Amino acid sequence: MGTKYVGKPIPRIDIDKVAGDAEYPYDFTLPGMVYAKLVAAPYAHAKILKIKYDEALKVPGVLAVFTGADFPFKVGIYAADRDVLAREKVLYYGHPVAAVVAETLEAAEKAAELIEVEYEPLPPVLDALEALKPDAPLVHEKLHEYKHAPFIYPKPGTNIATHLKLRKGNIEEGFSKADVVVENTYYEPLISQGYLENWVGVARVKSDGTVEIWSSHQSPFAVRNLLATSLGLPIHKVVVHHMYIGGGFGGKAGLLLEHIPVLFSMKLGGRPVRLELNREENYFYMAQRAGYYFKMKTGATKDGKLIAHWGEYILDAGAYADYTVNVARSVGLKPFGPYEIEHVHTDAYAVYTNKIPTTAFRGFGLMELYFASERQMDLLAKKLGMDPVEFRLKNVLIPGKSITHTQERLREDAGDPAGAIKEAAKLIEWGKPPEQPKEPWKFRGKGIAAFWKGPVQPSNAASSAIVKLNDDGSVDVLVGTGEMGQGTITSLAQIVAEELGIPVEKIRISPERRTDMVPYTWQTVGSRGLFSEGQALIRALEDLKSQIKKVAAQVFRVFEDQIEIRDGKACVVGEPWECISLAEMALGYMYPNGNTIGGPLIGRGSHVPVRTSIPDPETGKSVPAPFYTFGAGAVEVEVDLITGRVKVLKAVMVLDTPAINPLLVAGQVYGGTVMGINIGLLEELKFDKNGRLMNPNFTDYKLARAADIPEEMIFKCLGVGQKDAPYGAKGVGELTMLPWPAAIANAIANAIGVELYELPMKPDKIIEEVKKQRPELLEKVREALKVKG
Amino acid sequence: MAASKSVLVFHTLLPEFEYFRPKTLQEALELLDKYKGDARILAGGTDLLVDMRMRIKQPKYVIDIKGIDELHTLKYEEGKGLTIGATVTLDELLNNKIVKEKYYVLWDAIRQLADTHLRMKATLVGNICNASPAADSAPALLVLKAKVNIASVNGTRTVEIKDFFKWVKKTILEPNEMVTSIFIPEPPEGAKGRYLKFVRSAEDLALVGIAALVANPKDPAKRIVRIALSSVAPTPVIVEEVEELFKQDKPLSELAEEAVKLVMSKVSPITDVRATKELREHMVEFGTRYLLKTLLEG
Amino acid sequence: MAEKLIPITLKVNGKEYKVEVKPNETLLFVLRNKLNIKSVKGTCYRGECGVCTVLLNGKPVKSCLVLAAEADGAEIITLEGLAPFGTLAPIQKAFIEHGAFQCGFCTPGFILTAHWLLTNKPDATEEEIKEVLSGLICRCTGYKQIIEAIKAAAKYYKQDKQKQ
Ligand SMILES: Cc1cc2nc3c(=O)[nH]c(=O)nc-3n(C[C@H](O)[C@H](O)[C@H](O)COP(=O)(O)OP(=O)(O)OC[C@H]3O[C@@H](n4cnc5c(N)ncnc54)[C@H](O)[C@@H]3O)c2cc1C
Ligand code: FES
Ligand code: FES
Repeated sequence: MGTKYVGKPIPRIDIDKVAGDAEYPYDFTLPGMVYAKLVAAPYAHAKILKIKYDEALKVPGVLAVFTGADFPFKVGIYAADRDVLAREKVLYYGHPVAAVVAETLEAAEKAAELIEVEYEPLPPVLDALEALKPDAPLVHEKLHEYKHAPFIYPKPGTNIATHLKLRKGNIEEGFSKADVVVENTYYEPLISQGYLENWVGVARVKSDGTVEIWSSHQSPFAVRNLLATSLGLPIHKVVVHHMYIGGGFGGKAGLLLEHIPVLFSMKLGGRPVRLELNREENYFYMAQRAGYYFKMKTGATKDGKLIAHWGEYILDAGAYADYTVNVARSVGLKPFGPYEIEHVHTDAYAVYTNKIPTTAFRGFGLMELYFASERQMDLLAKKLGMDPVEFRLKNVLIPGKSITHTQERLREDAGDPAGAIKEAAKLIEWGKPPEQPKEPWKFRGKGIAAFWKGPVQPSNAASSAIVKLNDDGSVDVLVGTGEMGQGTITSLAQIVAEELGIPVEKIRISPERRTDMVPYTWQTVGSRGLFSEGQALIRALEDLKSQIKKVAAQVFRVFEDQIEIRDGKACVVGEPWECISLAEMALGYMYPNGNTIGGPLIGRGSHVPVRTSIPDPETGKSVPAPFYTFGAGAVEVEVDLITGRVKVLKAVMVLDTPAINPLLVAGQVYGGTVMGINIGLLEELKFDKNGRLMNPNFTDYKLARAADIPEEMIFKCLGVGQKDAPYGAKGVGELTMLPWPAAIANAIANAIGVELYELPMKPDKIIEEVKKQRPELLEKVREALKVKG
Repeated sequence: MAASKSVLVFHTLLPEFEYFRPKTLQEALELLDKYKGDARILAGGTDLLVDMRMRIKQPKYVIDIKGIDELHTLKYEEGKGLTIGATVTLDELLNNKIVKEKYYVLWDAIRQLADTHLRMKATLVGNICNASPAADSAPALLVLKAKVNIASVNGTRTVEIKDFFKWVKKTILEPNEMVTSIFIPEPPEGAKGRYLKFVRSAEDLALVGIAALVANPKDPAKRIVRIALSSVAPTPVIVEEVEELFKQDKPLSELAEEAVKLVMSKVSPITDVRATKELREHMVEFGTRYLLKTLLEG
Repeated sequence: MAEKLIPITLKVNGKEYKVEVKPNETLLFVLRNKLNIKSVKGTCYRGECGVCTVLLNGKPVKSCLVLAAEADGAEIITLEGLAPFGTLAPIQKAFIEHGAFQCGFCTPGFILTAHWLLTNKPDATEEEIKEVLSGLICRCTGYKQIIEAIKAAAKYYKQDKQKQ
């Protein structure tokens, strides 16, 4: 790009994080703050008979004990299915049943121990397939009373929180034309987002009824609007303060637990209330990621064309499906990889069970989906006797031509799906067999997976931006997007720098956003931040620039189109010595005689996704997203049959989009790669037969460490931009995670000839499957380990 | 985690206790005797403080022994052995030349125990006294035939490490006793050892840990082979029959096969949150094979 | 049981503090809540993640597993103490240049650990760097840029060592 800032590896602007004075909700306090502590039920499903807390109230410093009865209403974003504290029933092991508020955390913890609850245990339903059976216990008997978004389809009288249909072509006809068919069920357990900052919220209510909250959330405006609707408050009386947050990965999207400290503060005469979760609590009280069953049947003709795909996708949503219903929409509307298939018929269900509630996670269901569908691709290729890369290229979507699963003709500048696959194959040296290690118990193989994704958002998901010019030529940018580490604010600063020709150092984007002081943005999710905020910002800059030009044109007595802005100055085109600096006109340009024109210059800009539409409830036909990022990932793995561990030696990722900032994109790629690999190999929330979560800690919920990362990670951006995207750049944040579990499973099959259909691909599973599918390999290892002599 | 049966409370704070920091062993022993079961020794605290926050242990009195100079001994006597005091940290051992050269199997285990940061505080004695079945130093100490020196106000006693563990997280220590040091005799002439730790990621507790010590493999008369394991039974275990077996004058290949069978028959792994029984059995078998091949042939 | 307050002295980032602590207060909470040193984070409170890392008498420890009472008389360095206020130490600059942080929640622990490692072993190999970092968790970055930043900063520590 012929640019000075955009496209360059500019270091992040949030450098207070390395200095040590970056402020997170975890660090936030208010004078006179009191502490809330939740207590939970030790049953997966039980009727609450009685709650006794007089002893708790006697503990010095205790101000109040609350129970579900104090808050007789539900909250939620897409499906308002959540109780503030459990009412009537507890729905999962670890479900909060009561809360203590006290002057100190010590007092709150002491009092919490003294609360007694009587239950009548009910049979729990702990598996999504079980939950679909007609005689399954119901998690939510009153589903018919719950409010929900129009594009969510709950089925009262069942455990179905939503059902998404997608129909394209004629599925029977499709399979009648298929020469080869593969049919499998894939399983992926519930997992955790694993961000490091536990959820914290500090709330207070002012005497005029204004509610203020500082909390760990991704999207301040979503929190504001949902708090207002859930609690029946006018929107302008809810002020949400966004600070840096210690990671989100989808787990802090929508409304989290903000209503709890807010409600407590209301009941306590406005006193500031802090609710801070510890790690165990964060596992139980925050929503995790759903579990998945994918039943898939996919057919192709003998010349290698995909022709039909049937699927039943079942999301184990846990006790509350508030956000997972939208994840079901994501996999429901993008039910297969970036390939054209004439006949598609899928049903996606989010199903309630008596487990931890679930919500979004980076990738919004698609990493999970592609584990299944990109395995299908390899298994089909194998049946056809075709090379997996060749098979993919034969079916990949072609911009301007292909009709997607939602019957949308892909826009001409949609990207380069084929290019990404080809480049990934090249970088992993596809076709060249891996060099086998000298230890006869280690086996290497290669695998590939392709992906695509756009943001899953309502068709009116808006963004806006304001740019204020200061009297020294510096700039304040006001946006509502959250900063959870993804680096959007640095990219936005680069755009401002580029457009105004000023250095990044002259731009401030405050780490704090107050919803009453920054312009609206729907949510910071779905890798939409840069695309949406970026467009709003570019419009704001256009607005500002036209004001600058107007003033300069008047000063130089030329037309506005004869003014250009460069290096922080407005100059007459062709006469770069005829300039006025932006500083001189920021607050109004003053002539030598004192006459002043202009006035403080403020640019504003808005964005809504264009041409996206609401899916048809019967077929899913729609334009679901304003852009798709296409890409592919490939790996070389080594399977060790002594330890059962799989090591990714090399991981390559190719994205079709240009990068506003290669340094930031690299960070997203490495982070997403390590996360995706770890999810593929290790991560799972483990429940015992009573529904008790057994690993609510980092000791047994294993996150990757520095010594676990691949020896080599490479990535490439092809630079194929979409015309309406800021500098062509599409979202990348979530995309970087999508191919890994699938690529690894494909590589394991390549290495040891063992086909896997379940995550995680942990040592237990590897050894178990080797014993089943390739016992002779273990014999070989035994032989190799024979002691000589 | 929960104190009362009917609710779960996940604590952020440690329970209340009284803190003592005695300067002499005698003082510590007297406190221990006075408070008996209500008191706990604090060494590095990397096990104790976690257990306390989780309310698994709730001592009313905590006796920090790090101020007692006489417990900070790390002394090697040529021909006799190595004494490791109760407050010697794992980091100190890792940086000790004698440990690395003479007691490699122990060094190898410590290298893989927890992480750099924790080893700055965690002690070897604490690892043993905590008596986790997964204690990484235990198999190494078992194959080295370490001895545990114990003291109370009533006097001192010494027990073999193999007799020290009683059950999951239980030792033979009486409530008024503490460990003052571990003594490791001079290892057999020419001994080589390895600790093989099976893990899920770069930082993990042992799914299975196997320590092996081999001396003079080619000479049946002087041959010594010992194998001990962690995470395969309620306590760390040494398979004592292995040493006997290798005294026989048979081809090494045959002995090794028999040893694998023997080890397999002496362990009783279970399925838990970290691994299945089946995986653990696989690890025991292939780990033992791997170690024997490496140490007997090498 | 009446909880006795224990008077202790801590020297944090060169400054001496006298505070009274409860026996069950960890160093982490005393630094954060009593001395207002907020760069030291907490999340797992069980020694797993290392966001609470401080240099205690020159060594990296996880302050969630240290009683404040145990640390009586100790010298402590936190991220705030690496460079004079308003300036950045070479390791901090390297983290910025190499994009070695995202959400930043783990960053104080990583920088302190790296500083300790390079001070003692400026020629640490990539293997050694990874090994030492493996006591810490970062969920955002995938570690690669952190390792690169540490390797790049090593030259400043080598120079320092030569000067000594
Ligand atoms: C994140 C993490 C990872 C870990 N990883 C590992 C690992 O990989 N492998 C492993 O084996 N362990 C591991 N551990 C456990 C722990 O670090 C070790 O067991 C350590 O060696 C304990 O030593 P300490 O000095 O900290 O013990 P402390 O916690 O001080 O004491 C442990 C127990 O022993 C008692 N005790 C201590 N000293 C004495 C004494 N002299 N006499 C009588 N009783 C005494 C204490 O009262 C307490 O009950 C890990 C712990 C954590 C938090
Ligand atoms: S908070 Fe101390 S290690 Fe996690
Ligand atoms: S930068 Fe977020 S956890 Fe490391």
